[in-house]
Amino acid sequence: MLNSYLTQIRMNLLLTLRNRVALFFSYIFPLIFFGFAGMGGGGGNGQQVVGIVLGLGVLGGGLFGVGMRAVQDREQNILRRFKVAPIGPGEIIVSGMVTALALQLPNIIFMVALAHRFLGAPWPTQPISLLVFVSLGLLSFASLGGIIAALVNSMQEGMLLTQLFYFPLLFLGGITFPIVGFPLWLQTVAQFIPSTYFSSGLQPILRGKETIFDNLPAAGALALTALLGTLLAAKLFRWEKEEKLRPAAKFWLLAVLGPFFVLGAWQMHAKTNIAKAKVLGRDVQRSRTALIRDARLFLGDGTVIDQGSVLIKDGKIAEIYMGPAPDAKSLRADAIEAAGKTLLPGLIDVHVHLGTPGLPITDPQFYQNPDGNFDRELAAYLFSGVTAVKSAGDQPDMVSKHRATNASGERLGAELFADDPSSTTVVDGIEHGAMRGNVPAPGATYDPMLAAVEGMQAYAEGKTDLLDRSLVQQVMPRQWFAQAKSSITSAPRQATAPFRLDLAKQNLAEAYRAGVTLVTGTDSGDPLVVHGPAVHRELQLWVEAGIPPAAALQGATYNTARLLRADQRIGLIRKGYDANLLLVDGNPLQDISATERISTVFFKGERVDRSELFDQK
Amino acid sequence: MEPVIQVSGLHKAYGDFEAVRGIDFDVSEGEVFGLLGPNGAGKTTTVEILEGLRARSQGQVKVLGFDPEVSKNSLKDRIGVCLQATNMPDKLRVHEALEWFAAFYSRRADCNKLLQRLQLWEKRNDFYSKLSGGQKQRVALALALVNEPNLVFLDEPTTGLDPQVRLEIHSLIEELKAAKRTILLTTHYIEEAERLCDRVAIIDQGKIVAMGSPRELQERIFGQSRIEVVTALPMPAELPVFEAVVKHSLSDDRKTLVVESTRPARTLPDLIKWIDQKGLELEDIHLKRPTLEDVFIELTGKKLRD
Repeated sequence: MLNSYLTQIRMNLLLTLRNRVALFFSYIFPLIFFGFAGMGGGGGNGQQVVGIVLGLGVLGGGLFGVGMRAVQDREQNILRRFKVAPIGPGEIIVSGMVTALALQLPNIIFMVALAHRFLGAPWPTQPISLLVFVSLGLLSFASLGGIIAALVNSMQEGMLLTQLFYFPLLFLGGITFPIVGFPLWLQTVAQFIPSTYFSSGLQPILRGKETIFDNLPAAGALALTALLGTLLAAKLFRWEKEEKLRPAAKFWLLAVLGPFFVLGAWQMHAKTNIAKAKVLGRDVQRSRTALIRDARLFLGDGTVIDQGSVLIKDGKIAEIYMGPAPDAKSLRADAIEAAGKTLLPGLIDVHVHLGTPGLPITDPQFYQNPDGNFDRELAAYLFSGVTAVKSAGDQPDMVSKHRATNASGERLGAELFADDPSSTTVVDGIEHGAMRGNVPAPGATYDPMLAAVEGMQAYAEGKTDLLDRSLVQQVMPRQWFAQAKSSITSAPRQATAPFRLDLAKQNLAEAYRAGVTLVTGTDSGDPLVVHGPAVHRELQLWVEAGIPPAAALQGATYNTARLLRADQRIGLIRKGYDANLLLVDGNPLQDISATERISTVFFKGERVDRSELFDQK
Repeated sequence: MEPVIQVSGLHKAYGDFEAVRGIDFDVSEGEVFGLLGPNGAGKTTTVEILEGLRARSQGQVKVLGFDPEVSKNSLKDRIGVCLQATNMPDKLRVHEALEWFAAFYSRRADCNKLLQRLQLWEKRNDFYSKLSGGQKQRVALALALVNEPNLVFLDEPTTGLDPQVRLEIHSLIEELKAAKRTILLTTHYIEEAERLCDRVAIIDQGKIVAMGSPRELQERIFGQSRIEVVTALPMPAELPVFEAVVKHSLSDDRKTLVVESTRPARTLPDLIKWIDQKGLELEDIHLKRPTLEDVFIELTGKKLRD
């Protein structure tokens, strides 16, 4: 019995290895693809290339390998001879599937090794999960191929029907490119397709982000399809062309895809896999390699490099080069020319109120969509080059929810830190500094909040010029503009402003001279303190108060990262740190307002497409 | 001893078409049994039912004690089958084909010996696609013997082969016969059945029209042989009465005489003696037995090959 399987598999392998066409498609074709995708330059990620090559191999090898062999052998009257031997269809199909597996597994290892050697991709940290998951995928596609083989009468028919399955499985299933680029309805359709679950499991397992246990529904559905498909392929198996197929048999094909109809129906409701698709698409963006060349670098701790380059890889800062930039191509990186620009760590705001808009909005609809407001405001921060914010006093459940969707990459917005009381109490003396008459003691951390003072003063005086600032215009929804303006001008005037900007500036200058640590916490969400632009305004007001630009910028980067106790990861341009970077035109060390002239924002390695931040589905 | 094959009342219908309409026969151990009939007579259908490849519509079938429909794999394990047309993958080597199939069976022949016996030893490393028609047929025979079967089904084993190759295959089958294998052979070649079969069933339109040894069949149908003599001088118009002669006819020139005798061994010397006594000078003499072809034509009113 075992001997018969082994011999069958051995002969299948021999015959495949002697078949030039099969060899080409199994081994040479993926290699060519690998060459094109991997060596073609640019900053594409090795793991992504491996994922595509594996997906192509597994889908093609599975669908075409087993089924088409059977059709060919039947057409050439070879199977007839097997029919009179004491073996059943099950043995033929199962050994065909094992053969396909035996042909593909070395390919997988080979491709991973190639990517490691030539594209610098790390070894998969979950090799067992990877092999098991890939095998399940292959077996389920192979079983589909086996059923197709039973349904068709000729090679031509077989090729046609198989391709009819192959292309949707390939393109709709997200094997070649992430389905996140599709319209939402098509993404929903994709949730009924087995390969969608295959690719949404393969990519994170390949990256070592997940194991097979994180993909149990997908793995289970693939395994169930493989099992049902094999049984059915054996049941419908035809040894000879003359054997007739019962018409009802075709409907059994639907039964095999049943697990995916169930998953798809569930996904229409749950949408977790669509969210996962977004994350996968984000991962692809974040894993690109890019070289920002010949910029002025402000490292965050006050150090300035007049000409330097930063290599971003897998979401991290991989290398910092002084002097003229190295060749991007030899580093297999996208080149980003930054001569005349300044690269800073992403800015950080440690005091924001996401529950309020920062504009006097009267429209009741605004207040009925707190989730939308959170998303929009976190997007506005990222738009403005502010890559991390700490919420103060927002609803904890809202904060943790949005913190999670941003952290996973499902949504694109500034990293959100929760208002952790323990982190604020250990830092001495952080206060709404502008509101106090006296200056904090040396060694204390001081948040001057000048922009908030300015905003509240302007509001009290009915002035709207803060709304006309360019960055504010860019992040503020059009429909709110007139509303906010009329609301400010029609508000009752107060006799005296509650806070005084001139006094606050004096306090800041004194504090700076006394050696306190300055941090940017804007209190955004207060009237005319707009989420995002307020950080830039804050820095400008600091410089007006006499703070050197370098010290101001350090207050918005390294100092705030330390306050958040995240300075081992953000707040500096340093090797190994998160690639959260702000590239601006000009030199903010001479003219602080240059921070508003944003060229590019990098967030976790991704070049953020700022124009789409506010249109996220 | 129980027959190796027992068939009674076998029917097989494909939809409205009845391919086999009530067949009965037994095959005993060591016997070479032939199913002789034209294309479409129901030979292959019958054989495939016996091999377990097709379900029957009606009737009783036992092969090696198994019902082929029930114990398919046990039966397949013990029989050898040479199909009407066998094909193997192009890029399969001859010895690999044998090893492959040998792996399916519980009893295995020595593949090397089998290759030698079937004169395939020189070709053992050749790809199947490179073989000649005769070599391919020998591979098919080798595959049928790979499990040392006691019962071998040979379905038209020489159809489409040239006469030389056909003779080679015949001698191989004779070797099997000598080795006391039971063989069920289907053929539409008269010579093949006459030469190889112990018994023959003539099958036409799904029915057995006659069954017996080739000799018995000939005798049962005609019961006589035909003797033809040609003399130099005309024979007398009035012939003496010879023993066992049923019928005679004389040509117009009275030089050619044809007699039909139930005992040619008796009639032949009588005739020669009479010609000698009369001084007619014997010029030529033929003894002609009726062939299975004659039998077939007599029984079915048509020729085996159209």
